[in-house]
Amino acid sequence: MLIGTAIYALINSFILALMAMGFNLTFGISGVANFAYGAFYVMAAYGAWIFTHKAGLPYGVAVMLSIGLTTMGGALMYRFVLMRVRGQTLSEVIATFGMGLAILELFRYMGFVGFEYTLPNLVEGSVFFLGVYVDYQRLLIVAVGALMVVGLWLFTRFTSLGLAFRGIAQDERTALTFGMDPDRIATIAVAFGAGLAAIAAVVIVPLGTISPEEGYDVLIKALAVCIIGGLGSTGGVIAASFLIGFAERFTDAYIGSHWTMIVSLAAILLVLAVKPSGLFGHQKELEERI
Amino acid sequence: MKRFGGRLSLASVICVAVLGTGVMAWAAEPIVLGVPTSLGFLEGKESLRAVKMAVEEINATGGVMVGDEKRPFAVESLDIRDAAPGVPVPDALLGIEKIILEKKPAALLVGPFRSEALLAAMDLIAKHRVPMLGTIAMSPASEAKIKEKPAKYKYIFRLCLNAKYLVKYLAGSMAFIKERFGFDKVYILNQDVAWARKTAEITTQVYFDKAGWTVVGHEAFPTGTTDFSSALMKVRAKGAQVILPIFDMPQSGILVKQWNGMKVPAVMAGFISPLAGPGAWKTFDEKIGGAVNCNFEMGSAISSEKMEQSVEFLDAYEKRWGEPIQAGHGPAPSYESVYVLKEAIERAGSLAPDAVVEELEKTNRTGVMGQIHFDEGHQAVYDINPKTAAVAAVFQWTSDGGRTLVFPPELAAGEIQLPEGLKPAK
Amino acid sequence: MTERRRERIDRGIKKRSEDVFALASWREMLYLAGPRLLPVALVLFLPPLLSPYWQKVMLSVGVFGLLAVSWDLLAQAGMISLGQALFFGMGAYGAGLLDRYLGMPPFLSLPIAAVLGGLVSTLLLLPVLRLRGIYFSMVTLILPLMLVRVIEATKIFGGTEGLSGLTPWPSVWVEMYLILGALLAALFGFRRMLAADYGLVLKGIRDNDRSVTSAGINIYVYKAQALFIAAAVGGFAGAFMTHVYLFVGMPVFALDYSILPIAAAVVGGPGGLAGATLGAAILVPLSEALRGFGGLRIVFYGVFLVVFIVAVPEGIFSFVRRKYHQFERWVEVD
Repeated sequence: MLIGTAIYALINSFILALMAMGFNLTFGISGVANFAYGAFYVMAAYGAWIFTHKAGLPYGVAVMLSIGLTTMGGALMYRFVLMRVRGQTLSEVIATFGMGLAILELFRYMGFVGFEYTLPNLVEGSVFFLGVYVDYQRLLIVAVGALMVVGLWLFTRFTSLGLAFRGIAQDERTALTFGMDPDRIATIAVAFGAGLAAIAAVVIVPLGTISPEEGYDVLIKALAVCIIGGLGSTGGVIAASFLIGFAERFTDAYIGSHWTMIVSLAAILLVLAVKPSGLFGHQKELEERI
Repeated sequence: MKRFGGRLSLASVICVAVLGTGVMAWAAEPIVLGVPTSLGFLEGKESLRAVKMAVEEINATGGVMVGDEKRPFAVESLDIRDAAPGVPVPDALLGIEKIILEKKPAALLVGPFRSEALLAAMDLIAKHRVPMLGTIAMSPASEAKIKEKPAKYKYIFRLCLNAKYLVKYLAGSMAFIKERFGFDKVYILNQDVAWARKTAEITTQVYFDKAGWTVVGHEAFPTGTTDFSSALMKVRAKGAQVILPIFDMPQSGILVKQWNGMKVPAVMAGFISPLAGPGAWKTFDEKIGGAVNCNFEMGSAISSEKMEQSVEFLDAYEKRWGEPIQAGHGPAPSYESVYVLKEAIERAGSLAPDAVVEELEKTNRTGVMGQIHFDEGHQAVYDINPKTAAVAAVFQWTSDGGRTLVFPPELAAGEIQLPEGLKPAK
Repeated sequence: MTERRRERIDRGIKKRSEDVFALASWREMLYLAGPRLLPVALVLFLPPLLSPYWQKVMLSVGVFGLLAVSWDLLAQAGMISLGQALFFGMGAYGAGLLDRYLGMPPFLSLPIAAVLGGLVSTLLLLPVLRLRGIYFSMVTLILPLMLVRVIEATKIFGGTEGLSGLTPWPSVWVEMYLILGALLAALFGFRRMLAADYGLVLKGIRDNDRSVTSAGINIYVYKAQALFIAAAVGGFAGAFMTHVYLFVGMPVFALDYSILPIAAAVVGGPGGLAGATLGAAILVPLSEALRGFGGLRIVFYGVFLVVFIVAVPEGIFSFVRRKYHQFERWVEVD
């Protein structure tokens, strides 16, 4: 029971990390809080579903196409909406929130609600491991999650685009003098965030169903992780994912499933009261705290 | 040129007006049926289709005899979204009020999903005196309200199963399982909403505690839960042989998936809305063999060879809408409610609400779900014999994707089989 | 070919009525008072002319108007709330509890619940006030959604079923004029407040918090005060609704109560509270007219938000005001 719970807690942590990573990346680089993040997640999942069930494409192609289109969607959103209100936090928040709302509710209106809206497992079967059965899909999530973390780390340190990302994140004006175009980088950052949401969606959704609620849920989880970990800090996201992931599963197992949300809420309020900029929010602390 | 155009349009207006009045003189004014429900949800969508189908059938025969005039039915639907989590009850109420005031319906059908919304809507319906035949919300609290003030709330009827009768069916299938396999350890998992909580509670009280079962665990999940791994580990750890799930949220399909993935050695027998329809086999990658599900009404996505009308209903639905019914709750009683109303109006000879209600109370109709009559709480009576009451249906998914009706015994097409890999306890 | 451009000029009457000469004629006085008298007149005389259904809609206008005003107040101090439902729900539950457990009459429970709701919301959000930027939006968005879970889990305050059978207002007219009166009072009162020094400080915090700090003003105190006022206004709306629907339950924290006020304020034009009120007066009836579209309404709100914030950030109100004060004409460019 204890080991089983720990295993599922680990998986849960990776799920949370995958969900939050894209949001965090976009914010860390471009300073845009993408409140349409959950909508991109759901859009990718519905996209894959539509391509397989309505267009009859093979599943692998559908997934790739859906991830690609969602990434493009992110870029388009920046180009045509966010660029016009860049730097005005109020407008950015409302614009992204409005976009997310419109996308999610449009899916609901079009009747995409129900249990038939789900994606098949990418890998079938399960393995008996330390006293519990774990299906391969969950192991895949852990693998993809780990890969993403490592990949992002390498990307931001050893590629010129990744270094440009960090340059813009550290000081936009100085980066500008080195010939980096903040708008171009921000477009890519929002697109990357959307793409990460899409990748998270195609590996996580097979465990459950696709529904507009899922969009709000993912956004809330991503926000919770980012608030606790510290916005814009990758280490913070990972630490917070593990904190919430384990807390959730263990409260579920030993107290009751109802209390999982309360634990997250309590964690958020506590972190905000003690260290408002999050566990790992060091760099941003002065900026955000005035 | 301009003048000519003007004349042409004037002429066409006159033409249309003449034609229009002509048509109106020929066909009697239609009787409006209001369908305010959550149309974004499967149960709501298919219930509306069932209502439309019944209306088309009735109109094809000329309509409803009101006094000495034949009048057709017309359907006006409105999405009140009450089943969606973010929607406040007052907003749903405003929707119901809108359809009542603007469309002037002779009766309301289907109605709200959430019992909370139905209870709040009862006052509104009583105020406007519109008969309502509800087919989705199922908390017995509304019957209590009717019994308490019959003069005020007499306009509200319910054709679908309520939580009380559901318990009867669940207990019946549990008794079957115990008798055949000797299982007596159950783990109850339910959604944390009024009707499901009540169902779990009453089943424990009136059946499990008395029939020698041990309830090894009971857990309630908030609507929208997406991870059931902890509960399923507990099921395994505590050696439960049967899982009794009671859920009507789409996410409950995840429970089935996880039950599969974690290879939990227990029979899943209860109500999970995603398991009700024929489409579930594909949805769950053909991995639900052995699961037992209780569809709330005969005819809602399941039929019995021994009840011809239920088979005909499913066939007619598939023919009309091009796809089979998937919802295990709603379509059959919604279809029946149109006929129940038609017969009441014909007997009453008028559309006056009080006269119609009086006749509705005397309903005695045999149809898709069996025989329908109402008790003094205006709830359709359910039992296990379709000749004397309406029936629900418990079926089991076979390992080849078929569905075998196993309860009530009079209608059963086969016996409950143990899923692969499980051993009987005796 | 001569080129032409559009020129915008103040109306003569605007100039005349800016001075003491405004008192010279009825026309000038009416010009000044008109925009203020119009909403008052509408509120006084429109409700009795409406059908019962549209009276309900008018009630909604009042409630969402208050929530929009509350949102705009916060936005003035640089706090963008994505969770007006938090304030609404706090007030609603406050009134429900006072009614159920202390048996308070509505006229007493309404103000107390508003203040209590404001206090609790402020306390909950106090830690976030130390942070700038989007933190406030993030936390306000998730708080109401999580509080619902708390009520569900702990089964306090009636759990998932909520509290029903509460005390109603004495009559529909009390109901109607109470909420519309409150809306007008909030609109004119807080407009005055924002025009005073106090409002200046709040706007200063939004525009440049550091310079306000260096002026020796404790911005946290001001932010907390603004938050309390806004939360109490939202709580008032919630407490009022509790006694209209005689019910309070988890749906009072629904996302709808967060979305519509923002949409109203943005469409009407954030900044002067009048825009927010106008937005509510436009959007709520529009939303009723579109009710037949079901969920599509929410899609429209989303689209409105994006379109207005990107293309018409000043909102409808400022357009109306411009047309009132100025006229346009084409002039030739030399």
